[in-house]
Amino acid sequence: MELTYAFCVGALSTGGVFLMLRAQTFPVILGLTLLSYAVNLFLFASGRLVINSAAILNGSEHYADPLPQALVLTAIVIGFAMSAFALILAMRARADLSSDHVDGNDVENYKPGKAIKRRKETV
Amino acid sequence: MLDHLPVSLVLIPLLAGIIVLFPFIGNNTNRIRSLSLLFSSLLLISSIKLFLVVQAEGIFIYALGDWQAPYGITLYVDIFSSLLCVLTSFLLICVQIYSFAGEDTQGQYYHPLLMFQTMGIIGAFLTGDIFNLFVFFEVLLMASYALVIHGGGKKKTQANLHYVILNLAGSALFLFALGILYGTFGSLNMVDMQVKVSSLTEDQTILAKAGALLLVSVFGLKSALLPIHFWLTRTYSASPATVAAFFAIMTKVGIYSFWRVHTGIFGNDAGSLANIAQDWLTPLAWLTIIAGTIAVLASQTLRVLTANLVIVSAGSLLLMVALNTHMAATAGVYYLIHSTLACAFMFLLADLIIKQRGKAEDRFVISRPVSQSRLLSLLFFFAALCLIGMPPLSGFIGKVFILKASLDAEMAAWVWPPILISSLAAMIVLSRAGSTIFWRAKGQNSEQYQAQFSQLFAISLLGIALVSMVVFGGPLSEISSQAADNIFNMGHGIKLVEKVDA
Amino acid sequence: MSIIWLILLPTLGIFIPLLCQSNNRNMITSLTAMLPVASFILLCTYTNQVFSGEELRFFIPWISSLGLSLSFHLDGLAYLFCLLIIGIGLLVILYARYYLSDEDNMSKFYCLLMFFMVAMLGVVLSNNLIQLWMFWELTSISSFLLISFWSHKTEARKGARMALTVTGSGGLALLGALLLIGHITGTYELNEVLDKANLIHASDLYTPTLILFLLGAFTKSAQFPFHFWLPHAMSAPTPVSAYLHSATMVKAGVFLMARFYPVMAGTEQWFIIVSLTGMITMLIGAYVALFKHDLKGLLAYSTISHLGLITLLFGLGTQLAAIAGVFHIINHAVFKASLFMAAGIIDHESGTRDMRKLNGLWKYMPYTATLAMVAALSMAGVPLLNGFLSKEMLFAETLSQDTLGALSWFIPLLSTLAGMLAVAYSLRFIHDVFFNGEPIDLPRTPHEPPRYMRVPVEILVVACILIGLFPQFIVGDLLNAASSAVLQKPLPDFSLAIWHGLNFPLLMSTIAIIGGSILYYKREVLFEFKEQFLAEDAKYVFESRIQWIVSKAVQIHKFFDNDSLQRYILCLVIFALLLVSSPLLELLDAGGDEPRLGLSWLAIFCATILFVSTILTVIWSHQRLKSILALSVVGLIVSITFAYFSAPDLALTQLSVEVVTIILFLSALFFLPQQSPVIDSPLSTVVRDFIIALLFGSVIGTICYALLTRPLDSISTFFLENSLTGGGGTNAVNVILVDFRGFDTLGEITVLGIAALGIFKLLAKIPLYLPRTDSTGRAWATDKHPVLLALISQSLLPLALLVSAFIFLRGHNMPGGGFIAGLITAVAFLQQYIAHGVDWMAQRLKINYQLLIASGLFIATCTGLGSFMFDRPFMTTWFDHFHLPWVGEFELASAMIFDLGVYLTVVGATLLILANLGKLTTSERPMEDI
Repeated sequence: MELTYAFCVGALSTGGVFLMLRAQTFPVILGLTLLSYAVNLFLFASGRLVINSAAILNGSEHYADPLPQALVLTAIVIGFAMSAFALILAMRARADLSSDHVDGNDVENYKPGKAIKRRKETV
Repeated sequence: MLDHLPVSLVLIPLLAGIIVLFPFIGNNTNRIRSLSLLFSSLLLISSIKLFLVVQAEGIFIYALGDWQAPYGITLYVDIFSSLLCVLTSFLLICVQIYSFAGEDTQGQYYHPLLMFQTMGIIGAFLTGDIFNLFVFFEVLLMASYALVIHGGGKKKTQANLHYVILNLAGSALFLFALGILYGTFGSLNMVDMQVKVSSLTEDQTILAKAGALLLVSVFGLKSALLPIHFWLTRTYSASPATVAAFFAIMTKVGIYSFWRVHTGIFGNDAGSLANIAQDWLTPLAWLTIIAGTIAVLASQTLRVLTANLVIVSAGSLLLMVALNTHMAATAGVYYLIHSTLACAFMFLLADLIIKQRGKAEDRFVISRPVSQSRLLSLLFFFAALCLIGMPPLSGFIGKVFILKASLDAEMAAWVWPPILISSLAAMIVLSRAGSTIFWRAKGQNSEQYQAQFSQLFAISLLGIALVSMVVFGGPLSEISSQAADNIFNMGHGIKLVEKVDA
Repeated sequence: MSIIWLILLPTLGIFIPLLCQSNNRNMITSLTAMLPVASFILLCTYTNQVFSGEELRFFIPWISSLGLSLSFHLDGLAYLFCLLIIGIGLLVILYARYYLSDEDNMSKFYCLLMFFMVAMLGVVLSNNLIQLWMFWELTSISSFLLISFWSHKTEARKGARMALTVTGSGGLALLGALLLIGHITGTYELNEVLDKANLIHASDLYTPTLILFLLGAFTKSAQFPFHFWLPHAMSAPTPVSAYLHSATMVKAGVFLMARFYPVMAGTEQWFIIVSLTGMITMLIGAYVALFKHDLKGLLAYSTISHLGLITLLFGLGTQLAAIAGVFHIINHAVFKASLFMAAGIIDHESGTRDMRKLNGLWKYMPYTATLAMVAALSMAGVPLLNGFLSKEMLFAETLSQDTLGALSWFIPLLSTLAGMLAVAYSLRFIHDVFFNGEPIDLPRTPHEPPRYMRVPVEILVVACILIGLFPQFIVGDLLNAASSAVLQKPLPDFSLAIWHGLNFPLLMSTIAIIGGSILYYKREVLFEFKEQFLAEDAKYVFESRIQWIVSKAVQIHKFFDNDSLQRYILCLVIFALLLVSSPLLELLDAGGDEPRLGLSWLAIFCATILFVSTILTVIWSHQRLKSILALSVVGLIVSITFAYFSAPDLALTQLSVEVVTIILFLSALFFLPQQSPVIDSPLSTVVRDFIIALLFGSVIGTICYALLTRPLDSISTFFLENSLTGGGGTNAVNVILVDFRGFDTLGEITVLGIAALGIFKLLAKIPLYLPRTDSTGRAWATDKHPVLLALISQSLLPLALLVSAFIFLRGHNMPGGGFIAGLITAVAFLQQYIAHGVDWMAQRLKINYQLLIASGLFIATCTGLGSFMFDRPFMTTWFDHFHLPWVGEFELASAMIFDLGVYLTVVGATLLILANLGKLTTSERPMEDI
């Protein structure tokens, strides 16, 4: 079970990081969201995995670790606020810079030649 | 009330922000201004008071909700943290007063956001709980995201996009690190962690190391450590003047956290985890100064130049963190205060210059003269001396401190060249900048903009502070060395509640 | 009176010119001169003490941890320099009053001049190394301002910046040297340092110290190869040149050598470096001076040459040489200052400094001519004048040294050569300017200057003659005092006399004078020889160097920082990856030895879906609608996972956040491009990114696994034990949120509130246009708000509110709480927006969301503040159980009020965001034109 869980966390963060490295704002924000899922699961896992023993006191002697849960709750809320802001910021950027490229410069449709030229310039 | 001083430092800006948010209060500019000024002066007074209390009675631990550490969240107040609170609230007042000249009305929610950011910064300085540190980081970041775009404009949006996305990634990394640390320490209280760090099992030690090192990337991002310093120049130079000036303290939050976590918890007496970050910091901080210096030479506008000087100063501070000696920490604390004030000063001044120079803005090109040439050139001269680190202003004391510290740490051969070269570069660039802006002026001035009283008042407040850093250099260096003591023995002589057994 | 007044009085003097902004030039001048005069008199009162070998001190501690203190001392050397600085300073003040024209800002000039005087006095009076450096830099700064006094002239600006850069960098080197000296000797007080010569000589840091030290001294004293800045500093007003570049600033370097002579000199390295540098500088200076057509240019290079001479004397290493050095400092200051002033007069009265135009001025200004000629002859080292004496001593010393071993005879030879050149250029100065035919088209007809403009020159020239005739009587004591201060030991006996009998030095002088005259007579030959080499202007060389550095810097900077977010993130990810993975290499086995949980089919099923939908999100990331769907599936699975691993609160929260997020995404998507390029960057980049992402993911996964399979001994048992007794709730998670760690929650809702405000700012005046059609070009449905949806959602509203109330109330004991309740409420209202549109809602629902946020935060904070009344720390909670008839047992807790605050903030924030986003689609927004 732990292995599966860890695998999922890994997969999520892989997807997240990969998308964050894209050039358009929208995928980047998707990536951030994926990554925040990964983060939440990871943080949650720091309290170890337990089944059918929610931290609601009912006389049983074994409970899940409530602290990470509280932390994850905070993290979820903050993550929500952040991704909301990022999303709207992306809209704003699209509106102001009339491009949804993360650097604002208008290369919405990538053409190999163009990119190679761009890279030449930077070097 | 005195017993609640630590938390009230966090609550005053919070309440201020909330109160001016109430529509029936916030519908009048003058009311907002006077209220926020009132609150920030209250904040300054109480932070000074707290500083005095701590200096008199030693470390002050405030258990929120009356839940003792390590279980509840505690505020950990020592000379170091309270000193930075004083600095922050002073800077806040200057920035506010400057903004009264009209910047605060160029968009909505300026004052509440500024207050919330202050809350975040002060909270980050005061908290003794590492997850709470994360929360306050987010508070100050969220506020800064909103402030960068204050006033609107393409450049701001563009800069903000980079800034926000990078820092969101940073926050994610922070949480990963916290997960690892909680998963190994089973605790979040810094002092508690500092106690537990030497008693970890072998595997836990390795994992904890991973977590602690991951934090280097998080704090490094905040404090502009190479290779993740790129965002700073653009963000600072694009932000509104007052916001940029206030950001001068934000990089310092990252540096503070380095000192707290990597010198405090994973410091000299952390057993096999002792000083793990320093090996990474030393070369990177060194490179940061070099990169910053190159950027300084390459700068084409005054704001970009100042932003790059922030990077240089951040590099020097990180180097002081990495040196890991008492003298270095003393130098660091003194230099931290100096560079914060000096950079803020320059950012505000740059704004005045831009307003008076018309189209040329703050670019280093021949243009019409500024309308208040004599005044502005004097101020510029002052700021330049500070930033270059030339006598008789505080910059030179800071520089001498750094050089001496590295000499005592037997690192002079390494530390001196970048420090000296960077100040030489600053001298070259600033003298060119000054003579271009003020002396190579052609034609008659078209802009009739005159600096307003509030602006000059704010700038002169900063100026007075910088001067008094020299005049009272003796006491201040004393305080810095006390702060250095605090850095190195965080949590020493503090009895945490014994663990209650199940 | 304490010696601090020597420097305090002029310091006050800085402000006097600023205060009296009157146009009465005489008044400004006299007022400015007042305080320096006072401090000059004060200086004279110390004469006897100083000459009797006494050393007066003044000390106040400043920054002890830095070794920095306000510490001054007055000994022979300091006395000598004070005399020069204040004395010549006063003459310059008088001179400048006539030199400056009406459009020059006189008070500014005097202010800067006094500033410089103070800095200079500070240097010579300092008894503390770091304080000395402080004043040292101040001289650089003030001279920068003085040279650039005519800031409208480009050569003034360039010359000033060059001087600043060269002397400034030298200053940095000097700082290093002084810190090293302090480090070696363990003290920063000069008088203590001077006793520790052996310590310094023995230290292995001596060589670096010496090099840094000499860098400081040489740059300041314009020694080869740093001499190029001095001629360009001549673009300053002549009084400045007369002051800075003859008597004071350029002397600071040689002063430094004299001051540290006991501790730095006396070693092989010192003699070689210093004497050679001095010799080269002396020759080059003298040689170039001969060819300068500009009067001040000639004087500048001759200054360089004479500074070289003094340096050489300090490098020779015999005590008498050092004494000669001190003596020549005096003499050079005297005659060079007068020469500069004379040059200034000529320039002032004839309008040019070009010696090719200036001829035969004798007719027009015989008096000035006489003065200038006397001074020039003294510069040439002609007998009966002071220049002769020190030059004689130089020749004597060059004969009695063995610095270069077998090659030591070079030194007297070259010195004689330099002497010849000196005679030559002095002759040129005299003959070209005052005789040699008629002046050639001068701007104005020259005449004698105003009476008092000559006075300073007269005084100095008289000094030249008197010292020349009665050296022992005039400067004997002064020289003794100064030299013993330099050597720090009893002096060898030496005699200052014009006539030492027929000896080699006399022969050398004669050769120099005769040879010099011949050189000048045959100068055409030399000039032709010189013409072959085209001289390049150091100003432009320097400037182009700087330009080059800047352009290189720009290149390098652009190369590393290309303003590409993708690169920044890549750096961040790789950096983090390196940091986090480096320790893992030490970890023997990823899996620990904790018992594993059994794998259930449900888990496998969920994991598969999660994996697949993650991949889909990535693949579809360019087809946005699909990717959002995939993303929502991921979110769903995540909340199921929470539920599965006994975290019901998390599950609920995740679920409700999910709903809102998806709505947000969808409405934002409406404005973002529906499609984006399938491949946004070259394939290689994509592959690289994927590999890095994969690495990152696997490292995170590994750590997660490592954590999961190892025991954890955490503090959380405490929460379980105290959540009922101390927090009054059975739901430990919620109790932690509102009580144990309520402070976090307060911060968290603040973040939410700020985010709402920020988004509001972002949406203000956003220049967006409504897309007419969707991506496939179909027009949007006209029926915006279907009736059926409206009906259902309206009837759902109360139900939803009821549910949220229920969730809110049970929060403390069962899964739920303010946050989840808030989101549910928000969604319920949101549905109304969707069903009826913003306009419809705006009429009916008159809630100010900003007010909602504010009051929510306010309530939460005040709940915390409440505990102050019971004198308990912030957020100390209170709860109790009550019994009411019919209602039965129920509980009240302050935490619930706090939770109410949370609830309100969440509702306010969420609706503020979404409602404003919705507003964008209202009818008044302009449509995009096709």
